[in-house]
Amino acid sequence: MTTQTAARAALPARDIRAPGIDRRRQYARRARMSDLLVTLLWGSGAAAVALYLAYGGMNDWNSVAGFITGVGIIAGLIGSDFVLVMLVLAARVPVIDRTIGHDRAVATHRRLGKPALYLLLAHGALLLIGYGASTGINPIAEIGPMLALPDMPLAFIGTALFILVVVTSLVAVRRRVSYEGWHLVHLLSYLAVIFALPHQFSDSGMLAVGTWQRVYWLALYVLAAGAIVFFRFLKPIIATLRHRITVAGVTVEAPGVVSIHLRGQRLRELRSQGGQFLIWRFWTGKTWWHSHPISLSAMPSDTTARITVRGLGAGSTRIGGIPAGTPVSIEGPYGIFSDVARTSPRLAIVAAGIGVTPVRALLENARIGPGEATILLRASDNDETYLWDELGEIAAAKGATLYTSVGRRASSGSAWLADHDVRRGVTLRSIFPRLATSDLYLCGPSSWLDVVEAEARALGVPEHQIHAERFDW
Amino acid sequence: MRKRAIAASVLASMGILTVGWQVGMATTVTPTSSSGDTASGTAGSSGTSGSSMTSDTGSSSSTASTSALKDGTYTGTSEQTRFGDVQVQVTISGGKITDVAAVHLTDEGGRSVQISNYAAPILRKEVLASQSAKVSNVGGATYTTDGYLQSVQSALDQASS
Repeated sequence: MTTQTAARAALPARDIRAPGIDRRRQYARRARMSDLLVTLLWGSGAAAVALYLAYGGMNDWNSVAGFITGVGIIAGLIGSDFVLVMLVLAARVPVIDRTIGHDRAVATHRRLGKPALYLLLAHGALLLIGYGASTGINPIAEIGPMLALPDMPLAFIGTALFILVVVTSLVAVRRRVSYEGWHLVHLLSYLAVIFALPHQFSDSGMLAVGTWQRVYWLALYVLAAGAIVFFRFLKPIIATLRHRITVAGVTVEAPGVVSIHLRGQRLRELRSQGGQFLIWRFWTGKTWWHSHPISLSAMPSDTTARITVRGLGAGSTRIGGIPAGTPVSIEGPYGIFSDVARTSPRLAIVAAGIGVTPVRALLENARIGPGEATILLRASDNDETYLWDELGEIAAAKGATLYTSVGRRASSGSAWLADHDVRRGVTLRSIFPRLATSDLYLCGPSSWLDVVEAEARALGVPEHQIHAERFDW
Repeated sequence: MRKRAIAASVLASMGILTVGWQVGMATTVTPTSSSGDTASGTAGSSGTSGSSMTSDTGSSSSTASTSALKDGTYTGTSEQTRFGDVQVQVTISGGKITDVAAVHLTDEGGRSVQISNYAAPILRKEVLASQSAKVSNVGGATYTTDGYLQSVQSALDQASS
């Protein structure tokens, strides 16, 4: 390990806080918002059931058939609510992105997938049993009369689509399918929601005209659909047209790693925070169907921006060869691997390999006082030290301490560091002695990052102080 | 912070559910298994927008006996339920109920139509058999049963007055 800038020792401890910023208060505000979002999630499910009860749903519970039907209806209501929440979580709504970040929004979306499907399947099965029992026929035979209900064939198709979407998203299946294939199937979930929608209004009588239940559900659907249409489609299109980004040139940083220089208009108005990523699409005949979530590797000027990519996926390798002048469409910026997520007075950053790119922009953009930040850069060999010289300059200018650890990974101890450093007794705590009052930003490949994260947890660093960005694509 | 989120979620959900449950209780239909006067008071009001009681069934029905029915065809009151209006026409011949014909049945939502089609013949048969509106509830068709029997009762009231 070598110290490139040894600024910290010279500075008194009280200088660490950037003037005028209270990280704790900033975090408290974000945490309150996060709690509110969680409460809204569960509250919306409760509201769905409450409205069912308020309109006399319990009246039907006076027979076994009625009770089964009632439970089936409740399953359907909560299931629909989950699906709508999932749509909102996938819509990249700015307030959600700023509060919990894109990663956690997607993780929550994913966690709701299976429960939502199970609830909707239970809904179908229980209603077949309940309806059948009320007229004295078996659930299978009830499928006939059920399909005779208006809009019900569509609802059955919708269910089949939901099953397809969830199955293709199972980890085991997802690994075998290309991202683009999976994404195409996943888009069917919009169709599934649209197919399932009419029967809720035309069949149940639950959502009859003039009831608050109808008003509530219509509002939810309008909200979810509006969020998707606006934030996922309109906003990116508007941003793309407005900023007119094209490729200015490609430079090679190291074998397999390129920086793509971009030209555009009013790029500062993107209001990207250092460390955020955008989803890029390069409009050449060979590359347009791949979208790439890539962090900015430097803060954009009004007319230029830069991203740095390592060829991991098939698409990433190909974009190394895109010609200058290629039009680029964007979605974003997204994520809170940035100043926004700060919770504590000090800043500790660990980045490995290509994970250095968001860190480079994060540090450039961070409002930090001298001595506030400590950075450790990790590479397995000297070829992997992308952008390190730039980071060194920024660190020096901002009064941050920069350490590096180059070499093969250690097999024991702090196994995320270079072997020879671990032999010298270097650990996470020795690099960042004030970890307890620091925000720990981690960026690099998943398998490596998990090890660092585990060591941080073992040292008792609270969950909200750990900010991880996994580079797997 | 997660603890606070969980606490807030649990409290909010319980609160919302309690309100829904209480509102639901206030509009609950009394089971009509014993039918007659007690049921007629509440069934209509469980409907959508505060529908008012449509008939005088509440006061006069309890003593209505089927023994002194005048011949003719009587149209019962139209009972509002949250799944649509229910109205029947009762035919009296020789002092006996000889037919009950549906003028309008619950039809709010596709499933309601199915329920009506299933429940109406059963109710008709039971009314004819018991010669009264005091028959048991058809499972899964609470609202239809309530409206149907009240409309029958109001027709019988007309026939006996």
